[in-house]
Amino acid sequence: MSKRFGAVRAVDDVSLELKKGEFFSLLGPSGCGKTTMLRLAAGFEVPDAGRVFLDGRDITDLPPNKRPVNTVFQSYALFPHMTVRDNIAFGLTVAKRPKREVRDEVDRMLRLIRMEDQADKKPDQLSGGQRQRVAVARALVNRPRVLLLDEPLAALDLKLRQKMLIELDLVHDEVGITFLYVTHDQAEAMSLSDRIAVMDGGRIEQVGAPAEIYESPRTGFVAAFIGDTNFLEGRVRECPEADYCRLEIAGLGEAASFNDRQVRPEQAVVLSVRPEKIHIAHDRPEDAPRRNGFPAEVEDVIYLGASTKYWVRAGDHRVQVLRQHSRYFYDDRPIRWKDRVWIWWHADDGFMLEGVKSPQ
Amino acid sequence: MYHCGDLTPKQRAEWLVSLPTLAWLALFLVIPAALIFVLAFRPADPYGGIGAGWTLETVRALWAPSNLAIAVRTLWISLLTTAVCLVLAVPAGYTIARASEKWRNRLLMLVIVPFWTSFLVRVFAWRSLLHPEGPVKALLQAAGLAGPETTLLYNPAAVVLVMVYTFLPFTILPIYAAAEKFDFRIVEAARDLGARPFQAFRKVFLPGISQGLLTAFLVVFIPALGSYIIPDLVGGPSGEMLGSKIAQRVFTDRNLPHASALSAVLVLAVMAPLVAVLALQRKKKRADIIMGESP
Amino acid sequence: MRRSRFPVAVTAAVLAFFYLPIIVLVANSFNPARFSSRWQGFSLVWYRRLFESPEVWQALKNTLIVAVAVTAISVVLGTLAAFALHRYAASRLQRVHYTLIYAPLVVPEILMGIGLLMAFVAAGVPLGLVTIILAHVTFCVSFVAMTVLGRLQDFDFSVVEAARDLGAGWGRIVRKVLVPMLMPGIAAGALLAFTLSVDDFVITFFVAGPGATTLPLRIYSMIKFGAPPMINALSTLLLAVTVTAVLASRRLSRSKR
Repeated sequence: MSKRFGAVRAVDDVSLELKKGEFFSLLGPSGCGKTTMLRLAAGFEVPDAGRVFLDGRDITDLPPNKRPVNTVFQSYALFPHMTVRDNIAFGLTVAKRPKREVRDEVDRMLRLIRMEDQADKKPDQLSGGQRQRVAVARALVNRPRVLLLDEPLAALDLKLRQKMLIELDLVHDEVGITFLYVTHDQAEAMSLSDRIAVMDGGRIEQVGAPAEIYESPRTGFVAAFIGDTNFLEGRVRECPEADYCRLEIAGLGEAASFNDRQVRPEQAVVLSVRPEKIHIAHDRPEDAPRRNGFPAEVEDVIYLGASTKYWVRAGDHRVQVLRQHSRYFYDDRPIRWKDRVWIWWHADDGFMLEGVKSPQ
Repeated sequence: MYHCGDLTPKQRAEWLVSLPTLAWLALFLVIPAALIFVLAFRPADPYGGIGAGWTLETVRALWAPSNLAIAVRTLWISLLTTAVCLVLAVPAGYTIARASEKWRNRLLMLVIVPFWTSFLVRVFAWRSLLHPEGPVKALLQAAGLAGPETTLLYNPAAVVLVMVYTFLPFTILPIYAAAEKFDFRIVEAARDLGARPFQAFRKVFLPGISQGLLTAFLVVFIPALGSYIIPDLVGGPSGEMLGSKIAQRVFTDRNLPHASALSAVLVLAVMAPLVAVLALQRKKKRADIIMGESP
Repeated sequence: MRRSRFPVAVTAAVLAFFYLPIIVLVANSFNPARFSSRWQGFSLVWYRRLFESPEVWQALKNTLIVAVAVTAISVVLGTLAAFALHRYAASRLQRVHYTLIYAPLVVPEILMGIGLLMAFVAAGVPLGLVTIILAHVTFCVSFVAMTVLGRLQDFDFSVVEAARDLGAGWGRIVRKVLVPMLMPGIAAGALLAFTLSVDDFVITFFVAGPGATTLPLRIYSMIKFGAPPMINALSTLLLAVTVTAVLASRRLSRSKR
């Protein structure tokens, strides 16, 4: 599918298939085209090229009111002049369903979102989390084939967001329909999704399960956008074994890496290593096959509560290392600013990104 | 130390800055308004002035069938004008609010510009358009919609037409202002939930701009009730309204008490919708407060 | 979702409805025909007649005298009123004040006209330019006050506090801070008062004496008692003047920003 607004290609030749009942997320920075994808699915936008299918039926030319999909809007878009009950009943009312059925269905939804006692309030008398729940109920009551969620938690504060995250997950398990979830928040996408599509510049960079996206990102953008990482530019020296290569990292030295890219000697590559995969200690680690160890000096120590982030200087590189600590005040040899330390990681824990310039 | 009774210095300053307008408006607004009601009970003198003594004759004369007919006509012409204005202004205000910013400013200018011309000139322009030898009749005749005997001027329809022309921008502007603040995502939400375009418009958009509709109603209906020039210039005897009748009593019959009795009726007619709207709003606000207090 | 074209079509029709009479009027002002609307070639004859008419010149002079006086008085009164309404917003006196200022905005003109006429007759004030000025100020004050009040409500009073903090006295604050910052509102109010005064017919008609004919009164008698083509010419000129003035003021305010 493609969609352009003026000169901007919002969605650029993208193809995507959702499995029945899965929780699928579109993840990307603002302006990456994820919301346009959702609006194409809902029927608010018409693609310039490409078709939209639902259960094998072409719904591209159906207006939003004729599509069996419903949306939870970013701003919730609740009807301000109607009560919670009337908001939830809206879809059934315009479908001219019998009054009794409407009442029973709305009651069922009110129970699902645990707001039976708030049914007669207007949206502006509700808290953010309550509004969000009404928006979900209003969409679900129509029993859509796909529920589209456009950054539904963006307007909530952190604590509430975490709570609603669990609720959304429960609702998904309960109703068992397909969810298409748009977000720029990787933690939301990671914790909820069966599969994630990472988007940038109107294109899909990678589709996969959360762990796959995190542990084996295919592009530099994905690696940098999902979690933190260190980018080390270099060149392939040799690949003595089929699965492993030796790289020459400019300004650092030689490092081994798992070769999942089928790279060849002399090829320019970027090695990406996540901070939590790197070990840090005062003592030099024992030499071991496929272990990459380098001396370094601590430049910054950032205490994060559950973990500590160290910025260290290794060769010409500033490398970030994340260490979970089980002890902090009673650590025998705490790592301090200006300490001379060693960092090391296993060759399996880095991944090569072919031909990309490091985005940092 | 304070000379002006118990006033604090702050209150004295307040009186000082408020007094000029208060005095002016008391003199030229409150007293004239009171006079309208007072003079209705005074007899007229034959020279166009006000006679001595008091009488109920003028007020009793208000119930004449001719007056009642004019009052009824004033009401329906005003209501019809308001209705037509609203029906045209809602799509126009909607279009302007949904236009891109560049077009929005252009359209607003286009709505406002014609009204930099003098009000009289606009009425006059219609008078010449609807004139028996004017272009509109020629067009209608060419289309076979009008015979040589058809008169377009000097009837209630002409009054409504010209009133719509003069009041329409004042309806478009408040509706545009409300539509511009309106969150159109809730129309999308309605469509998403299965509402057809017209259902979404009626169930979501119209309630959403109700405040603008109310303002638009008042800014048309109240001046329409008091119209004078339009019925005077294009209405003819069958298009007379309260306003033109009042002017006729003043300038032709030179009977100020009669004019003031009719004016008093007009004052009451104008107050009714104003008070109704204010009461409605207050009730709504109170209901919201009560609802808001429950947890 | 494809948007309906119906509202756009209505808007286009409404704009055509707005402009057609004006276009016909302007075109007719260059048409030498006296009665027929049939085009008889381009001519400036009505403009020449207009310029040769002493009544029109006298009416223009009266209109300008009234408008200038009205603008001056209502700007002073209206600004003061707006300041009072804003500064003492919560007091009971200001609630009365606000109601009084609001009233002329909603009261039909004819009621103000007849009320004022009766007051002048009852008080024995001779009708003329003075009564026109008094009447015009009564409604222009409200428009000035509302315009300046709107400006005051957007006004960040911490600027005044900042000025005091930096050592300015009240006199200096009014001259150097308040008036310059409120100037756009005051100027807009003045422009509005001037325009309303120039254009007012109904109230003027009621309170004008025999000698005090303003331009709208002149136009009215021309409409009622013949000479339509001259009105076309006069209207076209008025339209040209207002459009130029408004466009110029917009250009001016835009270049300042």
